[in-house]
Amino acid sequence: MDTRKEQGQDLAQGAMLGRVPDPAMISMDEVSGMAEPELERSKRPATPLQDSLRRLRRDKRAMVSLGILVFMVLIALIGPPIYQHIGGPYVNQITGQTVGPQSYHNYYYENLADQDQGPSAQYWLGTDQLGRDILARLMQGILVSIFVALFVEVFDVVLGISIGVLAGYYGGLIDQFLARFTDIMLAFPGLLFIIMVAGIFGSSADSFFSHVPVIGPNGNARLLLVGIVLGIVIWPFTARLVRGQTLQLKEQQFVEAARTSGTTNTRIILRHIVPNLLSIVVVTATLNLSNTIVGEAGISLLGLGVQPPGSSLGKMIADGAQNITSYPREVIIPCIVLTLIVLCFCFLGDGMRDAFDPRSKD
Amino acid sequence: MVQFLVKRFIGLLFVVVGVTFITFIMGYFAPGDPVLLMLGQHYNQAAYVALKHVYGLDLPWYQQYWNYLKNLFTFNFGLSYEYKDRAVSAILASGVPISLELGSWALLLTLIVGLPLGILSALKANTWVDTTNMTVMLILFAVPTFVLAVFVQVFIVWIDQSTGASWPVSNWGTPWHYSWSDIQYKLAPIIVLAAGAVAFYARLMRTQMLEVLRQDYVRTARAKGLRERIVIYRHALRNALIPIITTLGVALGSLVGGAFFIEDLFNIPGIAGIALNSIGTRDYPVIQATTVILAVAVVLGNLLSDILYTVVDPRIKVE
Amino acid sequence: MAENLLEVNNLKTYFYTRGGTVKAVDDVSFGIRAGETLGIVGESGCGKSVTALSIMRLIARPGKIVAGEINFNGEDIMEKNQNELTDLRGSKISMIFQDPMTSLNPVYTVGFQIAETVKRHRKDVTHEQAWRRAVEMLDLVRIPDAKRRAKNYPHEFSGGMRQRVMIAISLACNPQLLIADEPTTALDVTIQAQILELMKGLSKEFGTAVMLITHDLGVVAGSCQDVIVMYAGHVVESAPVKQLYETPAHPYTIGLLQSIPRLDDQRGVKLNPIAGQPPDLLNPPPGCPYAPRCPRVQTRCWQERPELVQVGRGTQAAACFYPS
Repeated sequence: MDTRKEQGQDLAQGAMLGRVPDPAMISMDEVSGMAEPELERSKRPATPLQDSLRRLRRDKRAMVSLGILVFMVLIALIGPPIYQHIGGPYVNQITGQTVGPQSYHNYYYENLADQDQGPSAQYWLGTDQLGRDILARLMQGILVSIFVALFVEVFDVVLGISIGVLAGYYGGLIDQFLARFTDIMLAFPGLLFIIMVAGIFGSSADSFFSHVPVIGPNGNARLLLVGIVLGIVIWPFTARLVRGQTLQLKEQQFVEAARTSGTTNTRIILRHIVPNLLSIVVVTATLNLSNTIVGEAGISLLGLGVQPPGSSLGKMIADGAQNITSYPREVIIPCIVLTLIVLCFCFLGDGMRDAFDPRSKD
Repeated sequence: MVQFLVKRFIGLLFVVVGVTFITFIMGYFAPGDPVLLMLGQHYNQAAYVALKHVYGLDLPWYQQYWNYLKNLFTFNFGLSYEYKDRAVSAILASGVPISLELGSWALLLTLIVGLPLGILSALKANTWVDTTNMTVMLILFAVPTFVLAVFVQVFIVWIDQSTGASWPVSNWGTPWHYSWSDIQYKLAPIIVLAAGAVAFYARLMRTQMLEVLRQDYVRTARAKGLRERIVIYRHALRNALIPIITTLGVALGSLVGGAFFIEDLFNIPGIAGIALNSIGTRDYPVIQATTVILAVAVVLGNLLSDILYTVVDPRIKVE
Repeated sequence: MAENLLEVNNLKTYFYTRGGTVKAVDDVSFGIRAGETLGIVGESGCGKSVTALSIMRLIARPGKIVAGEINFNGEDIMEKNQNELTDLRGSKISMIFQDPMTSLNPVYTVGFQIAETVKRHRKDVTHEQAWRRAVEMLDLVRIPDAKRRAKNYPHEFSGGMRQRVMIAISLACNPQLLIADEPTTALDVTIQAQILELMKGLSKEFGTAVMLITHDLGVVAGSCQDVIVMYAGHVVESAPVKQLYETPAHPYTIGLLQSIPRLDDQRGVKLNPIAGQPPDLLNPPPGCPYAPRCPRVQTRCWQERPELVQVGRGTQAAACFYPS
């Protein structure tokens, strides 16, 4: 028997909305009424997880995207400390003080004498309207995006899985509640809801949350509110997905077997159902991360998220937009970074969907 | 079919109740005391209590909610906090035709550009036409609306500066008028707002067309000797359009959300723009009102798409 | 021998896939006379459906008809252009398919789908006339209450009734040849019998030739005058139906007949499957395609491909060097 060429992952462009198998390959199937001569591939003794990861590794676009994202995370985390040690002392024209890079390479340090400068040895990406170092603000912005995204995703996954599984497994009230809640969330455009909440409760959140230790009064307090609201808006969709999967899994024979052998429901859920959900949750979470980052950027852009002196990609875009006619560079830089992040997640999410569930044609 | 619609209608009614309740609660818990604000310097206890009674603000929350609902039916959104003698509806009134114009054109563009592009891509699947089309669509779909808006504005500014033209990047012309100057104001925002939805529909249409063209009944149509054009437009398209129609509500929702960014970045005085401004001045009734209006609009949009769905797909009898 | 209505000569249809070239139909020849019913029998993947679709010229990428002549009424279908082909389909040659549940368009009424064919091929017909013809056809295929049911949608019919609708569509313009690709495979056995009987009756009444494709030898026995047996894209035997059953010549045919359990078998009698694996269409062996499984295989079988040669008296032919 010949070994057939490995069925590579065909990355048709119909990525995000579901893949359509290459029509050229299909007509033969349908037309001839016969299955393509599927020749046996030697079975590799690996777990499904390892199989999926292997498939993912082979997807070049996804891997490159992952690499870029990891690179960005690293920059956001270790960039600032490093950057703040690069550069010599500098005399601030306005205050007369001499400051070191810990100050002028900081994201909130304003130097009105150095407004709107182009990239230079001192300010690697130039400065904005208020004389703040753009690179520093960029790194801070990415950091903010990461934190908000992670916070929201944890919220989303925890709530989504727990309620989704309970709704799917037990049905009844929980299921009804989920269905109604999801209906409302679907009808109420997420952005609208967030704008309303952030608009009305934003400033109170600022004062309230700035007492929380880690966050402090640096303009980021409001992000906690934004994060919570984003989480509230997103989790119903994850929960619905999980519920659907749970319903399917519930009917499968291995669950029936577990039940007949006397396993308690809790055990069934934890041991049998949840692990099988993970692949679909991981894929959804990846795509949601991207949406969250865009969401936070959008909210900050409207002035409802990060407050000055804090930085966020969205805030930078809003600030830069004011100078669009004179210094377009200030708005283009954060735009490009945001676009890059989104595209990377796009390809990564695609690759993950293919790797974890190659049968999904959607 | 009637059963299906009735069920959906009841469901949507529930959603409307939920939505109005949420906006009401937001207003109820909003920081600040409107009566205090109104009295300002002239505060005294008696006046405070009296005024509170007049506005029904001393009633229990469920009665307040009921009043709120009743008022909504008559488009009474209360008084603005900022402009204490102006009704919120008056403030928003000027923005409604503008946002309506922006939204309608964006929706129209989405359908007339997105759908044909999707069909074209499907018919020429895997050729260079399809590949470039879908790559462009992917980018338009992935890039956030506000980023796209910024890029477009930068582009326009650059063109203006290079050629000495004066294409504007902000403001709106006269609502529902289309002189050359009006068009200059409106073209960019409409296109940018529609871009995401165009991309979404182009890709969805392509996927659906390809899916449908594989179906047995398309093969039957060909075997009947029908001409290819009829096969595609009468048999395939009709089926491929079904999921498009069911997602109209979602598309509307995303247009509503996107409108906030467009009106903000292009400085357009529609209701979203007005609402954003009122956030800065803590004029909560305006925010509340805008939210309710837009949310109900989306709910109605969903209802409309459900109705259209029953018209287009004869298989829908009972939910 | 009367001149053939349809004559297929040396048809070859290949599929150029990523895994290689699949020779779905590899040098197939046969003929059908006007008004007769020819059965084409074979297992899944032997090329019978591809043959049918090739005749209709409905083969799409990556498939291609690479060689052969298909003579219908004396004209070669391979020479015709798209316009001529669409004129031919549905009016002179019709086809019905295997799965009635998915073969009808769900968003149009059945009456519309029948009338559509009529209007396409008879330009002078009015809408009312076409609709009346549609109701007539539904009556003909024994759909009760045809007038009302013509306004129903496909999902309001059962599987068997949908197949009747398909037959109605295919016969609406009185074609000379009806190709039926496994028309009863997806149906219950009792419905199967009804549909076959219906087709037989209509064929007789209108003089329509039928090409009945199936993998079920039982179906063939009741409905066809002549039969051809296909294996791995080749015709391995061709005979009038009685002779095929009584004196099968090709080892494959013999194997097939032997593998059918019989009503009068004793209890405990083992079934006799044909040994070996299904044929590999990507890399067929050079000689006889059945060589790997043939109980009578000799050296010559591996090296040369046998042509159809006459066997016994009459028109029976088998592609074997050592037929029965």
